[in-house]
Amino acid sequence: MNWKHVRLLIWKEFLQLRRDPILLALLLILPVLQLVMLGYVVGADVKHLSTAVVDLDRTVTSRRLAESFASSGYYDITQRPAKESDLRPLLDRGDVKVALVIPEGTESRVSAGEAAPVGIVVDGSDSRTASVGSGYASQLIAVFNAKRIAEQGISIAGPGIDARVRVEYNPSLRAVNSMVPSLLATILLLTMSSVMSQAVVGERERGTLELMFVTPISRGEYLVGKLTPYILIGVVQMSLTALVGRTWFGVPFHGQLWVAVLGLFLFMLTTVALGLFISLVSHTRQQAQQVVIFIMLPFFVLSGFIFPVASMPTVLQVVTYAIPLRYAIEILRGTFIQGAGARELIWQLLALAGFSVVMLTLALFSFHKRLSD
Amino acid sequence: MTHSAHHPLPFISEPTATDSAISVRGLTKRFGEFTAVSGIDFDVARGEIFGFLGPNGSGKTTTMRMLTGTIAPQSGSIRILGEDVVASPEKVKRRIGYMSQKFSLFEDLTVDENLRFYAGVYDLPADEFVKQRAYVLEMAGLVGREKELTANLSVGWKQRLALGAATIHEPELLFLDEPTSGVDPVARRHFWDLLYDLAGQGVTLFVTTHYMEEATQCGRLAFMYAGRIIAEGSPREIREQHLLDIGDRDDSGRLRTASIEDVFVRLVTREREEAGR
Ligand SMILES: Nc1ncnc2c1ncn2[C@@H]1O[C@H](COP(=O)(O)OP(=O)(O)OP(=O)(O)O)[C@@H](O)[C@H]1O
Ligand SMILES: [Mg+2]
Repeated sequence: MNWKHVRLLIWKEFLQLRRDPILLALLLILPVLQLVMLGYVVGADVKHLSTAVVDLDRTVTSRRLAESFASSGYYDITQRPAKESDLRPLLDRGDVKVALVIPEGTESRVSAGEAAPVGIVVDGSDSRTASVGSGYASQLIAVFNAKRIAEQGISIAGPGIDARVRVEYNPSLRAVNSMVPSLLATILLLTMSSVMSQAVVGERERGTLELMFVTPISRGEYLVGKLTPYILIGVVQMSLTALVGRTWFGVPFHGQLWVAVLGLFLFMLTTVALGLFISLVSHTRQQAQQVVIFIMLPFFVLSGFIFPVASMPTVLQVVTYAIPLRYAIEILRGTFIQGAGARELIWQLLALAGFSVVMLTLALFSFHKRLSD
Repeated sequence: MTHSAHHPLPFISEPTATDSAISVRGLTKRFGEFTAVSGIDFDVARGEIFGFLGPNGSGKTTTMRMLTGTIAPQSGSIRILGEDVVASPEKVKRRIGYMSQKFSLFEDLTVDENLRFYAGVYDLPADEFVKQRAYVLEMAGLVGREKELTANLSVGWKQRLALGAATIHEPELLFLDEPTSGVDPVARRHFWDLLYDLAGQGVTLFVTTHYMEEATQCGRLAFMYAGRIIAEGSPREIREQHLLDIGDRDDSGRLRTASIEDVFVRLVTREREEAGR
């Protein structure tokens, strides 16, 4: 492996990318737009959720808490029932989607520095409403606590108000925050594999590939020179979408960061190698594109991105083990939402590492074969 | 170019494998059931301009791809500049240049970037690159157009740039697959002047073409038909031999003076008729 050759190939690839603004946009701008768009599809209709507040405490603290819900823009307080038992008919009729229950003694507990549980009841029949409804409620309470601490000084600050979210009707609900983490992987798969699938077959069509092999450039140098620029772009794309997901949508992150980064990186390698492999075995760019489309569908359906794996027929559940996207989504949801780390996700990480090694080997192997005719 | 000092004198006797630039024996390439090249033999002496003719699909490009090491033959031997290409195709890569039938420089790079790329591919030192770049730009008539995108050049300039890129590392042997197809007569003449310059510097040229006036400018020719070589020799030898072969007379009974094109057309027609029977 002559690294000067590899550097030369990378330089060439970047020059070409720079002259192809559409491709660059596809790799860097479109993913962010997709994330924002899809994020809003989820987020837009959950503003102004009709909300019931059951204030059993009737203190300054409880009123301020209810006020912070009202002023957030996500909750419109439409009902103020006197008792918790009055909630059920309101939820049943769909009059309210969310209920905030502030028990008696909340203020005194908070002042005493004890944890003060409040209840948040969410209508889970529309899972998106429910997850956003509960997700924002937890955040609001976190902000409320932070403000309180700031006002009163750290010395007397106790644990503060503790949100006890209960999702009615659909207790196994996944938070909307699970959408953004899985989108990170899905968008990466969509863009990187389709762009990469064009990379080598395009050169084959234009004849530049053949010329390359009359020169001292080796196949290995060519492959590394081809992959590296896209891997770098993939890293930039990952960082951009993750950043937008965190800041724009305020998706919380609870797990081990390096596990999420490593998982996403390994998945990106798999994706790029898959695209490369398709590119190597295809005869035309169109053919490569069709193969990518053909592969994407089972990826989406069987990865747990749309339908939970657990609810699939057993046979299909077995098939999902062959879908790299499944592991990426598990790693991202695990770290973002469940606060998981390497210990919980070691098998998923190993699976993705395995996939990337296998795909890269497959690409290298098919490259040898394909040029012999 | 630097290796022009001496090139071999024309051979009297049959050249040995190490003396010749190209030596091919029993070369065969099949694509599935179809035999594209069928057991051909030929030699090309160093410093020679060797013309490779044949109708479309006769196997010229396939032969050239085997000679340059991009595809492997099913059987037969190839020695290029004394090296066994079938066993170790890498060895001669620095010593040969290739201009493919289809224009294959990067269209989305500029003239200069393409030259820089190919200079890098052959590990040209910086000072050597400066020299070669100046030479190529001058030769291709592209001085002042270095920053132009290659896609925007017209065909004649593209071909000359491709020649420049293929010779930037001063190869001893140059493969040219229909280098002048689609080029106007003036540019074609100019291109052949460049080829003569190279030959004059001792570079061996292996050229395919469909232009018969180009064929007559080659030192030696081989005619290919359906994967076989059906005639070989200098243009003059081929004309004379096949003139007698065919024995064609004009209306007044004199032997007709055949051009290379006549011979080509007749040989191909004869082969087709024989194949038809
Ligand atoms: N990779 C391949 N797979 C299958 N068949 C091939 C392949 N490459 C070439 N052929 C076939 O081999 C035959 C010879 O092709 P080749 O390109 O060598 O002809 P050629 O003499 O260069 O023709 P032209 O003058 O049109 O350039 C053709 O029939 C072609 O279809
Ligand atoms: Mg050809």
